[in-house]
Amino acid sequence: MKPMKLVSVLACAVALFFPGKVYGQSDPGVRPGAINGQPGATPMNPLPLSSVNSTDGSLQFFQNGLSRFQDVESVSKSSTNNNGLGPRFNFNQCSGCHAQPAVGGTGPANNPQFQVIANGIVNGSTNAIPSFITVNGPTREARFPFFFNSSGSPNTNAPNGGVEDLFTVSGRPDAGSCNLPQPSFAVAQATGNIIFRIPTPVFGAGLIENLDDSSLLANQAAAARNNLGISGTFNRNGNDGTISRFGWKAQNKSLLLFAGEAYNVEMGISNEIFTQDRPLPGEDQLGSGLPASCLNLAGTGYPEDTTNYAPTVTSSDPYALNASIPSDIVAFAMFMRLLAPPVPSTTTPGGPASVSRGQALFSAIGCATCHTPTISSTQPSNFTSSLGNAPVNAFSDIEIHHMGTGLADNVSQGGAGGDQFRTAPLWGLGQRIFFLHDGRTANLLAAIQAHESNGSEANQVEANFDALSNSQKQDLLNFLRSL
Amino acid sequence: MNTKFLPSFMLFIFLLSMAAPAPTVAQSGGDFSDNAQAKKLPTDTILVKGAWSSASDSKAPTPESGKITNNTYNNPYFGLTYALPPDWIEKYTGPPPSDSGYYVLAQIRPAETDQIKNRGSLLIAAQDLFFTFSPAGNALELIDYSKENLSADYKVEQPPTIIQIANHSFVRFDYSSPIAELHWHILATQIRCHMVQFVFTGHNSLQMETLIQSLEQMTLPDEAGPISGKGGGSAPVCIKDYVRDENILEKVDPVFTERRFNPVPVRIIIDKEGKVKHIHFLSAFPDQAKAIADALFQWRFRPYLRDGRPIEVETGIMFGHVPRPSAFSSVAAVSE
Repeated sequence: MKPMKLVSVLACAVALFFPGKVYGQSDPGVRPGAINGQPGATPMNPLPLSSVNSTDGSLQFFQNGLSRFQDVESVSKSSTNNNGLGPRFNFNQCSGCHAQPAVGGTGPANNPQFQVIANGIVNGSTNAIPSFITVNGPTREARFPFFFNSSGSPNTNAPNGGVEDLFTVSGRPDAGSCNLPQPSFAVAQATGNIIFRIPTPVFGAGLIENLDDSSLLANQAAAARNNLGISGTFNRNGNDGTISRFGWKAQNKSLLLFAGEAYNVEMGISNEIFTQDRPLPGEDQLGSGLPASCLNLAGTGYPEDTTNYAPTVTSSDPYALNASIPSDIVAFAMFMRLLAPPVPSTTTPGGPASVSRGQALFSAIGCATCHTPTISSTQPSNFTSSLGNAPVNAFSDIEIHHMGTGLADNVSQGGAGGDQFRTAPLWGLGQRIFFLHDGRTANLLAAIQAHESNGSEANQVEANFDALSNSQKQDLLNFLRSL
Repeated sequence: MNTKFLPSFMLFIFLLSMAAPAPTVAQSGGDFSDNAQAKKLPTDTILVKGAWSSASDSKAPTPESGKITNNTYNNPYFGLTYALPPDWIEKYTGPPPSDSGYYVLAQIRPAETDQIKNRGSLLIAAQDLFFTFSPAGNALELIDYSKENLSADYKVEQPPTIIQIANHSFVRFDYSSPIAELHWHILATQIRCHMVQFVFTGHNSLQMETLIQSLEQMTLPDEAGPISGKGGGSAPVCIKDYVRDENILEKVDPVFTERRFNPVPVRIIIDKEGKVKHIHFLSAFPDQAKAIADALFQWRFRPYLRDGRPIEVETGIMFGHVPRPSAFSSVAAVSE
């Protein structure tokens, strides 16, 4: 090979594998050190809010919820696990996907969905691992923006957007004769009729839940004075018109609703909010529903998850007994609500001066217009004092913004259209692996650059980012990884 | 394998296959497709829109209908043309109008992204003064309010000052970010009760001044000015709050069949006879736009008189979820 040609090849290889290095700045990667910046936290034991304690019982509810969040779900016949999994599901354990950097987080480095056949969660003769689920890729749910028509092409006049669960219980020893096919993932991929979502972390979620609408509206009005091309709106709950706030499009009003929907949609477990087994969107809309052989597989009747009439544990602690009585979704909601928010580092990565400069640059170039560092403050809380009258350092305005053709997923949820997304809260960003709603990148620089495309509100801010020097960009990346 | 075990082995395989039956093969429709040659969806296209802008007809221009052709930004609604600096392009189009009346009209930058560091970028934007969150009744007040509420991250370099550009009055406001070493130069005027602003952002103030000079070649309607832009000439006059009881002769409320609780700002042009001539939905779902149009075309207004003669008038109405009561205005501004 001629020397010049060799140099070109090497340059291309460097650009391919180290994109940041070419331009002089790079994503420092997942921040090492204490989980969520909280000494004492472990991957299996994230910390609760500081006011959570055993004297008033809040700690027992937190611990009970944490435990249930890690339960492995079965279809039927299990005396040790919950029954009710499926008939369609994405995984059999909340904490399988909400795992990074601790229980309650987002997708881990080793994708458990890739191991479902190897680990006996799914029967390999009836299910295949979709090609978009990879060994070290993001944990994902899949949605088809449009229904297929009778000739098998996506029908743009028939929006779908519901979750197409990846796996079925068919062939599991505890699933009887239930026999279901997986949705047509391969054709959906070939036709571009598929989008993905990754799990949203829920650390600090109780504070977001406890923000009063008036605080959010005041923040919106203040941010309207930007000269950056930004003007967001809110997704509002269809029942009462108040601001909804959880999920990638802020489509869910409360943590209880968020838990109930996820239990039903991601794991196939009917509950007190979503009381039937869920067919696929097409099976539901076209009226075929689930076959009788796939209904009531747990043998308990519906809903599969209910309030317990009596304590399910033995304990001398009355609060521990109390905590075992609510249904799983209430326990999940309590766990999420009482989880402490991540604590940012003031020094890592890059040292305190770089992190400080990065924070100032983050505001100066306009990132903070949407990724509002702090919304103050929450309404008084009837759960625990830490949730009340507290600042919310979520780095989000909880608004939905047009993010352009580059990020659009053509899924409408509530008032959010196909290109609108909630400003992703950035607290805890430093220890996340995958970015953006579909986990398309693990490179923070690429995630920033994905903010610009036709129709995006972030184009001007991205241009400001492009105007920074390489060292300023590095400071900003260091700051983001300090969160 | 010992052949005497073959029947037992076959039976075992058969029972195994019964225990784990192959799933039913689904035909096309709904969540399933067996068509390997199925039609592909277009890429980089927003096919499922939420609340979006639209109009009752395509005859009357709308603020968002401006375009760049032959390196010139031309906006027939505002009567504005601006020749872009050489080698500058609109790399990305902006978002649709917001439900608070904010428009990204054009985003212009050097053709080469790495030149943004040296040459900066230009945002052309507009704020409908009928629907702004800020307590301001005209472009001058809006810029003053921005200055008074400027974040501590920035340093004021030139407070709002009236200047002349292209034979029209503008208000100019400059500020900078010491940490980012970026300068913002904002030039705003008012046309048809909108603040229209040019926002130059860059490192090099001298370079920015050269770009600002390029605005001298722009064409604007006579009305343009930080306070004066209230329509007239070939455009209807614009009046905030013209839709009030004493001006409404007949009214039919729109019926939303699917509530989403979103704000639906609407601009209408009322003709000389008091009929609604044109409706511009800044942000509405299609069913909301239809319901509003069906209702508004039945409304009748008292014709707006100037010097005793009826003339067309443009005004705004907020349907759906009204975010908050209007908190201004300090001067008559866009009201009459």
